[in-house]
Amino acid sequence: MEPLIGMGVLALMGAAATVAGASEDLESDVGSQSNPNSQVQLAPQMMYPHRIYNKAISGEPPSNALMCAVGGTVATVLMSAYNMSPVFAIAMGALLAAIVHGTYSVTAFFGRPTSQKRFKQPVYLDILWSHTPVIMGYSYITTFCILVISYLMVAVLGHPFPLPLLAFIWGIAIGAVGSSTGDVHYGAEREFQSVEFGAGLNAANSGNIVRKGESGLRNGFDNSWFCAKFGGPVTGIAFGMVVFLSGWVTTVFDPARGDAIGWLSVIAGALLVLIMILWNRKIEVAARAAYGPYKEDEVAA
Amino acid sequence: MIDIAGILMENISYVLLITLGGMLISFSVHFVPVGGAPAAMAQATGIGTGTVQLAAGAGLTGLVTAGTVMQVSDNPPLIIAAGAVGAMIMISVTMIVGTWVYVYGVGVPPASAKVKYDPITKDRQDLYVSQGTEGHGLPTVSYVSGVIGGLLGGGGGALVYYSLMSAGMDTGMAMANLVGLASIFAVGIFFVNAVIPSYNIGGTIEGFHDPKFKKWPKAVFSSLIATFMCALVAVLTIGGL
Repeated sequence: MEPLIGMGVLALMGAAATVAGASEDLESDVGSQSNPNSQVQLAPQMMYPHRIYNKAISGEPPSNALMCAVGGTVATVLMSAYNMSPVFAIAMGALLAAIVHGTYSVTAFFGRPTSQKRFKQPVYLDILWSHTPVIMGYSYITTFCILVISYLMVAVLGHPFPLPLLAFIWGIAIGAVGSSTGDVHYGAEREFQSVEFGAGLNAANSGNIVRKGESGLRNGFDNSWFCAKFGGPVTGIAFGMVVFLSGWVTTVFDPARGDAIGWLSVIAGALLVLIMILWNRKIEVAARAAYGPYKEDEVAA
Repeated sequence: MIDIAGILMENISYVLLITLGGMLISFSVHFVPVGGAPAAMAQATGIGTGTVQLAAGAGLTGLVTAGTVMQVSDNPPLIIAAGAVGAMIMISVTMIVGTWVYVYGVGVPPASAKVKYDPITKDRQDLYVSQGTEGHGLPTVSYVSGVIGGLLGGGGGALVYYSLMSAGMDTGMAMANLVGLASIFAVGIFFVNAVIPSYNIGGTIEGFHDPKFKKWPKAVFSSLIATFMCALVAVLTIGGL
């Protein structure tokens, strides 16, 4: 393939991945999924009932992998058995995946607060009605973008894996990226804005999540609004970088042009990793200088 | 009738390579610095997600890269290296963006609670751990450990995929079917070996400097048995079709 076409397709995939990453993180914020949800689940048990949509269908990677695999399978069937156009097939696949995800969200929402009846946690039906369509909307965007990436890889870049499997793998990867990056902004910052900025969550404060919003009582929308300023976009950048960089090394240094070029792609990838190690070190040094130690050295004191 | 003994004898070297790949994956998971739910609240050092999830996310990204390379090359070291690099890129990007969130979003410096000094940078750690937490963020030692985890996990996954594809090459199966079957088995074997070490890790591990890391032989031995069984089934299925 022409390297320029390859780079163009890769840029498109990177852009789709960036949107997918952001929507994946915001979906997990508005619906409260993954690790930070442990605090939402714990809050009523510590006598802090709340109005936050409490769903944790599973860890984010399996739940996104399910969504994307369902969408990918539907899209493949529509394209191969019914000769539908790829755009229509991908849109229909994403729609069905969003409906499946919505179903899981509703059952998870009913299951969790009702199990906390003894802690006087109400089941707010208005929260269910208002939040579920938003959750489905975000999951639609995520699945659509992942299917676009997978379709481009199969149809244009000629990747050998079948489309549903690629969608499954990218679903696992986007969930892993989302729960590793953007969720920390939701869990460590947004849920505990009442404690001083610049510290991890003291174990003594576990379950004491902020329940008052900028206006009225806080719900999933408020969390999504806040995380859309930082957590969501950085998750998008992270997943965009994963898709773009992992494809970039083999597009620029195409192994089809010989093993020597293939080894160059390996070296280019290793160099990228080395740059990131050094970058992490620079941030670490800057953070230690900016925030300073939390306690004094007893020997020196 | 399927000639089970014949297929196994013919592909015994691939069975052993798949087993080796599984053991590499199992070993690699111990390097990945994960803090689970506590890390998502900046309450423990490492990445704020589960062991299996991150290891699988990185390893499977490596598998995608290995699949790309294997389509155009039959050089095993290159395929394995491509898988390793794909996984290293995924985990490095995830960790660097994780560092952005910890430093700029939460306002905590990376700090380990398991060691007093970072074994690589020799920086003091305990003074930078905020009150009531078990460390937070990704100090250099954890970052480097994660990259090594990606290297071994991606390489192991690619080795499994390469062996499965090679075992099915002479069966006359259509290429698309072979790739589908081999990749699904590779993903399955990856998950089996990503789960086994989580019993050692128990939710959180900071990297190779963590005392829990020393337990790795138990997991790798368990993976040897589990992957050997998986390899027998996989090779029989692919070779017998």
